Amino acid sequence: MRRRTMLVALLTVVLLVPLAAEAQKPIKVGMPMPLSGPPALFGDPAAKGAQMFVEELNAKGGVLGRKIELLVRDSKADANEAVRVARELILKDNVDFLVGTLTSAEGPAVSVVAKENKIVFIAPIPKTDQLTAADKLHPYVFRVAATTTMEGRSAAEIVAKWPVTRIATMSFDYAYGQDVTKAFVEHLKKIKPGAQVVDQQWPKLGEQDYNPFINAQMAKKPEAIFSSIWGGFFVTYSKQAKALGVFDAIKYNFIGVGEAATPETTKSMGPDYPVGIWGNSYDAFYWGETAAHRDYVARLSKYLKDEYPSSWAIQGYIGMQFLVEAIKKANSTDSDKVAHALLGLAVETPVGRLTIREKDHQANRGQLYGKTARDPKYPFAIMKPAVYVDPSPFMD
Amino acid sequence: MPDPSFVFAQSLSGLTAAMFLFLIASGLSLIFGVLRVLNFAHGTFYMLGAYSAYQLVQWLGPGPGRFWIAALGAALAIAVLGGLVERLLFRHLYGKEELYQLLFTYALVLILSDVAKIVWGTQQKSVSRPPELTGSLSLFGAIVPHYNLLILLLGPSIALAFWFVLQKTRAGRVIRAAALDRETLGALGVNVDRLYTLVFMLGSFLGGLGGALIAPMRATVPGMDTEIIVEAFVVVVIGGLGSFWGTFLGALIYGQVLSFGILFFPRFSIFAVFALMAAVLIVRPWGLLGRPLQ
Repeated sequence: MRRRTMLVALLTVVLLVPLAAEAQKPIKVGMPMPLSGPPALFGDPAAKGAQMFVEELNAKGGVLGRKIELLVRDSKADANEAVRVARELILKDNVDFLVGTLTSAEGPAVSVVAKENKIVFIAPIPKTDQLTAADKLHPYVFRVAATTTMEGRSAAEIVAKWPVTRIATMSFDYAYGQDVTKAFVEHLKKIKPGAQVVDQQWPKLGEQDYNPFINAQMAKKPEAIFSSIWGGFFVTYSKQAKALGVFDAIKYNFIGVGEAATPETTKSMGPDYPVGIWGNSYDAFYWGETAAHRDYVARLSKYLKDEYPSSWAIQGYIGMQFLVEAIKKANSTDSDKVAHALLGLAVETPVGRLTIREKDHQANRGQLYGKTARDPKYPFAIMKPAVYVDPSPFMD
Repeated sequence: MPDPSFVFAQSLSGLTAAMFLFLIASGLSLIFGVLRVLNFAHGTFYMLGAYSAYQLVQWLGPGPGRFWIAALGAALAIAVLGGLVERLLFRHLYGKEELYQLLFTYALVLILSDVAKIVWGTQQKSVSRPPELTGSLSLFGAIVPHYNLLILLLGPSIALAFWFVLQKTRAGRVIRAAALDRETLGALGVNVDRLYTLVFMLGSFLGGLGGALIAPMRATVPGMDTEIIVEAFVVVVIGGLGSFWGTFLGALIYGQVLSFGILFFPRFSIFAVFALMAAVLIVRPWGLLGRPLQ
């Protein structure tokens, strides 16, 4: 009898050991993100935002009693490379989830890998509608970025209020540029039937010399310009446009989506920034509408050791936030259960309450929009005021 | 029929792009012409030129004339860097197979671009146009920024200076001789090693100067090295590798095709340039003004 009790006890212990070890093992999250080339301007801070969230969470004991281990890999902003590192993260590093990618080429490519491997994939930055379009959607892909539809329509809402009818567009000739421009033009024509698109220019992605495109566009005498030349490319474009007198000619009736008004861009251009244009941004350290945002900015500023912290960190941060909340809700790290938990999940993020819709796995992530102006408090232009545009009314 | 002032503006912008590309490509072509090394890292020297100019502008602060000091200083710094690279590394590659040279210069691209990332980070840097050239003038209805005009004039000036040095001076004759027969030149008592270093420095200087001068018109970011090297290669392939006037002609063609391409087939202008390059490669593999390789 005694021996039998001992045996049962021993057996129980033996059975429990791997379970205890399992509980201690960190949850691995793979993050393919561009860390080299021009897109690293955003990939790098986005990864750091995710890292900050993970460090804060682990300091508080992690989730389900387990810590999170974030494995960031350079996707080189290239679809093939992003697929390669995603596969490597899954097969070699045995990650439980994927959060990452930046360009609209990488996102849909990695989504296919997530589908094959039945692993939850949260895209924090790619905007192309194709990522969550009905024919591409699968149970494991989710997005906490804005979409080209939401961004294009938000811009159209703003431009519709301007006293102009002759509109021109300037966008890169690839998925993001085409989709956002199409969304803008269609929505504008719907809400302002008198509007007329007089010219559309399509430089190649990463164009360095915009002079011929600008000349061709200005020859059509537009009264306003919609641009989706994004990030560091906007610096090059706007310097050349300013030299050619574009902004004065259209009386600053210019809206730059693709984050043309991020603090990073206005800061790096300093006095050269075409102050007075409209632009957008995922975040701005000076926004501070809510206590949660002010607190987030203070923490981020300390973490990045930057007085004016990056506006891209928020996307990595929110991506991880959704994943962790879903793990909590599912009380499991099983991808099927977490994917189910993500449907309809609402999370209090630093920019407010966001919800992932059940029907297309898309969060109602809006962006900040505003007319840029100088502010004596900062040595660079800011959006004044920066207004958070909630895309919920025009997501469909 | 498009408006004539627009056609003029378009050809001017093509010309500006051409002269700027010529500045970069002439350095590449010069090094190849004399040293017979295809320096893939030439674009990296261009990028480092832009970053150095940014750094010097930061140190010198704003003020009239400061930008020019920074640009010249940056170009000189890149020339010194080029000299060091030639002395310490390239020297071992002369006469080796092209594959080794290509692999080596490619390795240099990767290493130097990572060094740039460590030093300057991944955030975009921006240099303002020099205060004395922020204006623009109106020419036949086209707006021409003063700064573009400078680039426009600088191209032909450098081309003429080069032509003069190569054709009319002793140094030029020595350089041309080195391109033809290195051993005989050495036997005649010319220090060929030193000559090679000087030519490499001169080529690097042009690359660095191109980078420094473009900084006010573009963003200085990681990755600008590989973008420019592709364009510079297209130019020298069209014009003829190692041919000085060929490079000039190649740049002119490149600029105009790109400028007017967007007029006729807006979404395929870049395609037109590459199609032209392919055609040249098929019909005259040594380029329009190049000489067939022995």
